[in-house]
Order: sequence, then structure tokens, then C-alpha cells
Amino acid sequence: MTTEQNPQIYSDATQAKGQAVIELTDVDKFFGDFQALADINMNVGLQEVIVVIGPSGSGKSTLIRCINRLEKHDRGTIVVDGIELSDDIKNIQEIRRETGMVFQSFNLFPHLTVIDNITLAPRQVRHESKKDAEDNAMALLERVGIPEQARKFPGQLSGGQQQRVAIARSLAMKPKVMLFDEPTSALDPEMIKEELDVMVELAEGGMTMIVVTHEMGFARAVADRVVFMSDGYIVEVGTPEHFFTNPQEDRTKLFLSQIL
Amino acid sequence: MTTTAPAPPQQSSLDWVKKNLFRNWWSGLITVVLLPLTLYVAYRALRFMFVTGQWDAVRVNLTLFMQGTFPRDEQWRLIAQLMIFALAFGIGLGTNSAASRDRAEDAGLDVARGSIVETLARMWSLVAFIALLLFFATTDDVGNFINPFLVVGGAMVIAGAGYQARRVPRRFRNVGWLLTMTLLVIGFQTVSGFDAGGWVPLGIIYGIAAYSIAPVDRFDARWLRFTLRLVGAGVVVLGIRAIYAAVDTTGIGWDEWSGLHLTLMVSAIAIVLAFPLGLLLALARRSTLPALRLMATAYIEVIRGVPLITLLFMGQFILGFMMPAGTVLSAITRAIAVMTFFSAAYIAEIVRGGLQALPKGQTEAGQAMGMAPPPIMRRIILPQALTAVIPAMVGQFISLFKDSSLLSIIAVLEFLGVRKIIHAQEAFRGVGIAETLVFVAIGYWAFAFAMSRESQRLERRLRVTR
Amino acid sequence: MTTETREPQRKEVARPPFYRDVRVIRVVGQLLAVLVIFGVAYWLVNNLISNMNRLGISTSFGFLSGPTNTAIPYHQEFDIRSPVWQMTLVGIKNTFLAAIFGVILASVVGLIVGVSRLSENWLVARIATFYVEFFRNIPPLVLIIFFGFAVFTFGPFPIFSESWELKVPGSDNNLLIINNDRWGIPGFTATGSLVLFWVILAAGVVLAAYMWRRRTKHFERTGQPHRRVLWFTGVVVVSLVIAYIASGQPLDMSWPVISENRRRVDGGFIANWGWMSVTFALGLYTASHLAEIIRGSILAVHQGQSEAANAVALSAFQRYRFVVLPQAMRIALPPTINQYLNLVKNTSLGTAVGYAEITALTKTSVGNGRPAFQSFIIVMAVYLVFSLSISLTLNVVNRRLQLESR
Repeated sequence: MTTEQNPQIYSDATQAKGQAVIELTDVDKFFGDFQALADINMNVGLQEVIVVIGPSGSGKSTLIRCINRLEKHDRGTIVVDGIELSDDIKNIQEIRRETGMVFQSFNLFPHLTVIDNITLAPRQVRHESKKDAEDNAMALLERVGIPEQARKFPGQLSGGQQQRVAIARSLAMKPKVMLFDEPTSALDPEMIKEELDVMVELAEGGMTMIVVTHEMGFARAVADRVVFMSDGYIVEVGTPEHFFTNPQEDRTKLFLSQIL
Repeated sequence: MTTTAPAPPQQSSLDWVKKNLFRNWWSGLITVVLLPLTLYVAYRALRFMFVTGQWDAVRVNLTLFMQGTFPRDEQWRLIAQLMIFALAFGIGLGTNSAASRDRAEDAGLDVARGSIVETLARMWSLVAFIALLLFFATTDDVGNFINPFLVVGGAMVIAGAGYQARRVPRRFRNVGWLLTMTLLVIGFQTVSGFDAGGWVPLGIIYGIAAYSIAPVDRFDARWLRFTLRLVGAGVVVLGIRAIYAAVDTTGIGWDEWSGLHLTLMVSAIAIVLAFPLGLLLALARRSTLPALRLMATAYIEVIRGVPLITLLFMGQFILGFMMPAGTVLSAITRAIAVMTFFSAAYIAEIVRGGLQALPKGQTEAGQAMGMAPPPIMRRIILPQALTAVIPAMVGQFISLFKDSSLLSIIAVLEFLGVRKIIHAQEAFRGVGIAETLVFVAIGYWAFAFAMSRESQRLERRLRVTR
Repeated sequence: MTTETREPQRKEVARPPFYRDVRVIRVVGQLLAVLVIFGVAYWLVNNLISNMNRLGISTSFGFLSGPTNTAIPYHQEFDIRSPVWQMTLVGIKNTFLAAIFGVILASVVGLIVGVSRLSENWLVARIATFYVEFFRNIPPLVLIIFFGFAVFTFGPFPIFSESWELKVPGSDNNLLIINNDRWGIPGFTATGSLVLFWVILAAGVVLAAYMWRRRTKHFERTGQPHRRVLWFTGVVVVSLVIAYIASGQPLDMSWPVISENRRRVDGGFIANWGWMSVTFALGLYTASHLAEIIRGSILAVHQGQSEAANAVALSAFQRYRFVVLPQAMRIALPPTINQYLNLVKNTSLGTAVGYAEITALTKTSVGNGRPAFQSFIIVMAVYLVFSLSISLTLNVVNRRLQLESR
């Protein structure tokens, strides 16, 4: 593993691997009468890569959207890097600064150039100078392999390139944790690989990641733990080899038999 | 058979007629009925225009149509004002177009360049209006003709000249913006006068400009930079104040405005003032706070549910009473206030449409990066939503421009209301009623048509860049 | 896991300081906004009331029951001593009279022009385009004044005493009376009670509707042509005749006649110049907007849907009737209703041609010393109730249409 390639991009790795960065305790979430999350208990250690799988509507996306408060959880506690998510606006902003998020539909800002997309938050939130922010952005674009696209608009890029810009944009905030919400689902098949390569490299670089995905290959290759969700519950958790070769629960077996 | 591709079928004019006028028997029948009818109507219209029309009521009163009852010997102020506004408008558009061209070039996009001929062709209705004015020109009263000609033609030429700001190199971009704002203020004050108290708008503009461009980067201490900027801005503001104190001339308030000048100014002022209000209303209506949402919705629905004329009557009879005793609001001030509050409700709905069209992911992406709501609004949501609604906003401006004709009902003499003075003149009592109306209709039509063409073009362009 | 119970148990969260608590911020923000807005409103209303009191203007609605004291143009039957609220009712009636006919005119012309814009005949398409671009870029007020003064008052029509009278051939009855002030056409007058007539006619319409459904079902069962329009019209016409005869012929033809002193038109259906100006001007103006809506809606469904319709070999008529139009109507409905609402609101411009609709009458009444604030509040309330009820209905209909389109 090439952990120390480019340390300033990743978390300031002062904490040891395994120490919990995200703790979810008894989390429930309702949309009206529909229970989207039920009794979620989960710890994510530093530099750990968690892959969340499950049928659609099982609450995977809701789970990671609760972690950075894009959805408000109704019960239980969520602690990110020692900060508890509550109605305290300061805590919410702090947690959002520490977690990066990559969306299924990229959500790049179409009216800004690639470089402006990346430097927007660092300049607005971290008050970095324009030069520092742009230098950092160029370094990140270099990492994801598209430095030559810096002055273009998102609309001029392919889907795969756009998603890599989105990753660079999240990394620019120097997050401790990265959340991926089905990052490859909107991509053409031939673009998925380049996208996954970036994610694999990120994982090998020691980034703490929670990835919602249908890419079982990725799960097998990089995940430290695989979480299977169904109907809002966490049904089964395990290492990839354990999970794919010897699942315990019936729901898991059924799901795996349908997709593999 | 030869292997060469068959030549594309030659389209003769006969083929064209057959295809487009006599495709089948009923199409042919319609053509046979409609063609003579159309020609007859066109003949009658042209005859009215050039032979039977008694155009003297228009011919003699061209200046009245343009500037209404504004004091005769002060009319240069209105002309100057219009010219300065036209220049500001041109420079603003030119600078804006240059800025977007720069961005497109950086991104490696093709940039379409328009020519003057194309622009004039797009604005053919205004050119036709100028031609109409030329048609009314008489040699016995040259002043009466030059005045309106300048108002329309001169303004177009000057705006076109200002538009050349797009050729100015990139580093002068900010100068373009500054110049636009300066000219707007000066344009206003050409009529209202440069009295000693009038330094405020220019003071603010140049104060902010001085604050942001002060060359203080070489100092490290933040407080020092801040202080130096403040001092710089203060010096500039005091300087402007001193200039105004030295000039100190009085002018004429907008209460004297009338004619086409008033029509154009009222629409422009009302839309500019209504925009921030409408924006706030739209944001409030989209807010997650129920109290805000409720109040904004109530305002918008009430205003949109009643005719403008009832609001204008309310403004005429009631607005003065709603101020503390002794406050005097002129008819034009009240009219502008009502038009502003009226437009704000419609603009709010337009902006809301733009906000709704944005995917939720845009906000979420901003939130996920820890941005607070205000910067998300300002940097992410509004730039996109407002660009998308530009054509609709132009449409709203056209509506407002047409609606300003209602001011004639509450005895404000705008373009349509001027007719009342004309037909009160001895020579034109009951004479040339249709002619003055046709002239007014053509005037409104020329401006509204040019603007609607422009908004269609903007819409097409926005659709392409998506 | 540390917790033994499955009870959702909450860990005690340290409450953040109130100024950072999202919930507190929300409540306080709203309170502030409400306070500011109500403060401004209170200030304005307070000024208004104190100013009105200072000037001795009544702040009550008592004036509504006082006498009107002014005649209403073209309403000789209106007693000028009747209370103000009756004048308001006349105004509302006239507003709707102009609005309804305006809507009919606008719909017919708008549909024709809108479809014509898509015509393959170059001339037709050009004329339609010209119509749209001409009318929609001229202020409706200019059009109303044009009709009112350039067409009617000072137009090509003769003055009252020299009215053109078009007789029914071989009779002394006037089919048409035209002058620059009012037009007359034949109408009906009731000579007896109409109750029985209406009851029988209503029963006939119900029967016709039943036949429509029966024929439709028949068509669905057997696939034979339903001819339901024919059946429907037939039943209605027959019941009309039965109703007329059975109720003792209570309706009489009433022919328009110019009175002896050539000052009035008696009998028939009379249209005055104000009403015609407002109706024509707004009808034609709104038609230009409707035409654009109709054209846009047809174009919006045209391409792919037409191809699909062609693929299953529908004829051109069937394609329009069953595929394009139903979808186009769904798209066109909200903006069309919006235009109708605009037309209703624009009838308030009738004041420019002295048409006795509610705004014009109120303006006159305010000019005669009635309190302006209360008078116009009533006018605005009338328009508002109408607009809001239409938009609410539209919302309901829209929601249903959207559900159907799933």
C-alpha cells in the first residue's frame, strides 16, 4: 500500500487506524409513516472502508445522508469525529466540513468552471486565499487525472470526468471521511472503471470511506467490511470474503443470488 | 443507370407556390379566398397611411408625444438623460457580453459573433418606427422632428457605440462596470440636478470600488489592510462630496416627466426596484419557515388576483393617506410605487419558477461541503436560477411596459395619455382620433416587438448553452 | 452493543447555546419577520385611519346602503335612489358580461389562429403569425380605446339618428340595427312563466347525456360507430321543441326597433359601444396569447407521439383527435385559464370607454364623494374571490390530470 503518497490531501492522520470516527447508536429515521432507518448501530473506524449494499429502498442512501445531516435523523445519536449531530448549527457545519460527499448525479455546479467548482467551498468556508485554493485544486485534478480540464465547464466533460471532478471537489475540503452515494450508477459502463480506480487509490491512501454501491467487485477488492441493509435494518455485517462466500442471513442469500 | 447520385430536385418558384399555396383542393380554396382579401386589407392600410390619414395631429405634436408637458426650455435635459442612459445600457451590455465571451473562450467553446447589421435586422421594428418618424418630418418645424428622432434613433446609435465596450481588453472589465453605474447615476441627475446632497449614490459606488481595489496587498497585518482600505474609501467619498458641493445646481424632479420618456422610465425604474423585492418574496415563498412562506404567498396571490388599475386607484386615493400626516407624494411617485409593488409579485413567481427548476442536488452539494445557507444561495443557487429566468424577466418587462399605459387612466400623461392634451387642442378636437391612436399603437408595438424578439433569442441561446 | 433494551433510548444531548440551536433560530427568525411586517402594516393602517379621521372621512362601510344618486349609462331601468350595493351588483354583472363574451371570442379566434400558425398553407400561416405578433405587442388599453373611439364613436358607423337598419326580407322587422353607439339584433322576451320550459329542457339535457353514455358503451361493446354527437344533438333539439310547446309557448321573438323620437332602441338584444369595445379588444388581444399557447402545446406533443400514432396506422384525423389533442389540452389548460383570468382582470379597463363595469362604476362613485378606501377594497375583494376560486379549481383539476398521466 502506498499510504503516504500525498499526505496533505488526506486527513491529518494523527489518529490510529481503527479508532471510531463515526458512531451511530440506535438511529431511527421516518419519512412520514415510512420507517427509512431502524435501529441502526454502526461504528466506522479511522481509515476503514465500509461498503453498504442492499436492494433499492432499503435505506442505504438515507443512512449516509443522515451522517452529514442532509436528512435529519429522528432518534438515536450520530457522532462524527467526536462531534455529536444535534440541532446545534455549529456542530452541523463542523461535521459537514469534515465529511466529503460524492453524489450519484455528480451535482457539479454547471455555471462554474471546473476549477471554480473545486475552489468554491475552500474559499467560502475555509477562507483560503485564491492562490492557495487554486494550487490545491490543480494538485487534486492532477491526482484524478484531468488537470487539462480545469478551465472547462462541467457540461463539456464526460460523465466519468464529471464524477472525478466531484471527487476532487470533495477532497478539496480536506475531509476526514468520504461518503459515496452510488457514485457509479449514473455512468456509462466504460467510464465506471476509471471512476473506481480513483476510489481504490483513495482507499489505499488511507481515506475513511462509506460507499453505497452496486459494484460488488469494488466491495470485494477494497472493503474492510460489507454492510447489507434491507427495509431500513442492517441485516448483516462482515468482511467481504465472509460476506460473499458464507452469508448467514436468508435475506442476504436471496439478495446475493439475485445479483451475482 | 448511372451510379452518380441524383441531383437534388430543383425547386422552381412554381413548385414553391404549388407546395405552399395549392397543396390540395381546400388549401387552394383558402388561398383563393384569402389572397385577395389580404391584398385588399393591405391596400386599405397603406392608403390610410399615405393618402387618407389626417396625420397632422401627430405631425405637429411629435415632441409632445416624446416628452409630454416637460418644460420646453429644459428639454435638453431629457435628451441628455436618454442619451446617457443609452450609453450606460450599451456599455453595460458590451461589458457583460465581453465577460461571458472571455469565460467561453477560456473553456474552449466556440463564440458566435454578431454584426451590427444582424443587430439592426433583429431590431427592425424600432428601425421602422424611426422611419415612421422620418415620414412625419416637416421642413417648417425642424426642431419638432429632430427631438423625437434623437430620442429613438440617437439613443440606438449611442447604445450601439457603447456596446463596443466588448472590444476593450480584459483588464478594463471592471472599468466598464464602474462606468455603467456612474453613467446611470449621472443620467438621473442630469434631470434632477447635481445638488450638494446628491453625492450619496456615486459616493457609495466609488467608496466600494476604492475599498476593493486599494493596493494594500503588500501589508501583512489584516487590521492594517482593513484600515488602509477604509481610509482610501473615505478619501474618495469625501472627494466626491466636495465635487458635488462645488457644482451644486438644481434641476427638475421626475414629477415633470411625461410622454414616451415617462413610459420608458417608469417601466425601467419599476422593474429595477421590483427585482430585489420580488427576489425576497420568491425566497420567502420557498422558505422552510411557515410564517415567511405564508406571508409571501398571501402577498403574491392578492396582488396577482386583482387588476393593476384597482391598485393604481388605491395608490392614487389611499397611498398618501398611509404616510404620516403632511407627507406629499406626487402622482408619478405613487404610480412608480404601485407599479413596483405590483411587478414584485409577478417577478417573485418568475424567480420561484427558476428556483424550482434547479435540482435539489445543487443545494445538497453545497451543504455537504459545509457551506452556510447564504453563500449557497448567493454562489450556487441564484446565479443559475436568475440566468434561467432572464427571458421571462424580459417578458415581464414587456408586460410592465404595456401596463404603463394604464397611468393615463389616473391622469398621468404618459405616451397614451398625451393624446388627451392633443385632442384638447383647438385644431384637433375630434380630429385625427384614429391617427393618434395608430401612432401610439405603433410606438408601443415597435418597442414591445423588439424586446420580445430579443427575449426569444436569449431563450434560444440559453437552451443551447445548457 | 452496550444497550440491552430495544427501547429507542435517547442519550442526553448537551443543549447547545440558544443562538446556535437550529430550532430556536427558526422560531426567532419567523417571529422577527412577522414582527417587522406586521409593524409596517400597523404603521400604514394606523396612518390611514388617523388621516381619515383627521379629514372627517368615514371609515365604515355604511355608505353601501345610502342612495347611488347617479345614473348608470345604458341602464335606464336603474333607479338612481337605490343603494350603492345595488350599483355594485350591476357592475359585477357587467364585468362578467364582458368577460364571458370576451372569453368566447378569444377562445374561438385563438384556436383558429393557433392551428393556422401550423398550417401547411404558407399564406394562412403568415397571416396567423402576423395576427399574433400584431395583437400581443400592443397594450390592451390602446386596443380598447381604439375600438371605443376610432371604430365606434368616431368610426365609420352612422350616428344614432341615421342608424343602418337591415330588415328581414319581406317584413318590417329589423334583423340588425347598427350605429356608432349601439347595435341591436333580435332577441327573445318571456310572455309567460318559464319554469316549466326550463324543467323540461333540463330533463332533455339529462336524457341526452344518458344517450351519449349509452352510445359510447354500445360502441365499446360492439365496435360499431357510436354517432353520439348526432344522438346528443337530436335529443336536445327534440326536447327543446317539446318544452316550448308543452309550456304554452312562453317565449316571443323580440325585434329591435328605434323608438319614435329616435333616441332609444327598444326590444331585441342591444349591445352598447362600451361593451363591444371591451369585448372585441380583449377578445382579440387574449386570442393572440391563446394562439401561442395552443401552438406551443401542439408542438410539444407533436413529434414522437405523432410518429407513434403513424406507426399504428391512425389517420390524420384520428391522430389529432385521439393522440395529439388530448395531450396538448392537458399542457394548454393551466396557461389558458391564466389568460382567461387576465381577461377578466382586464375588463377593469372598461372605465376608459365608459363601460359600466364594477371598476368604472366604483371610480365614478368615489368621484361623487364615497370613501375611496372601502369602495376599492370591495372591488378588489370581488376580483380576488373570483381569481382565487378559479386558481384553486385549476389546482385540483391539474392534480387530477397529472395523476391520470402517470
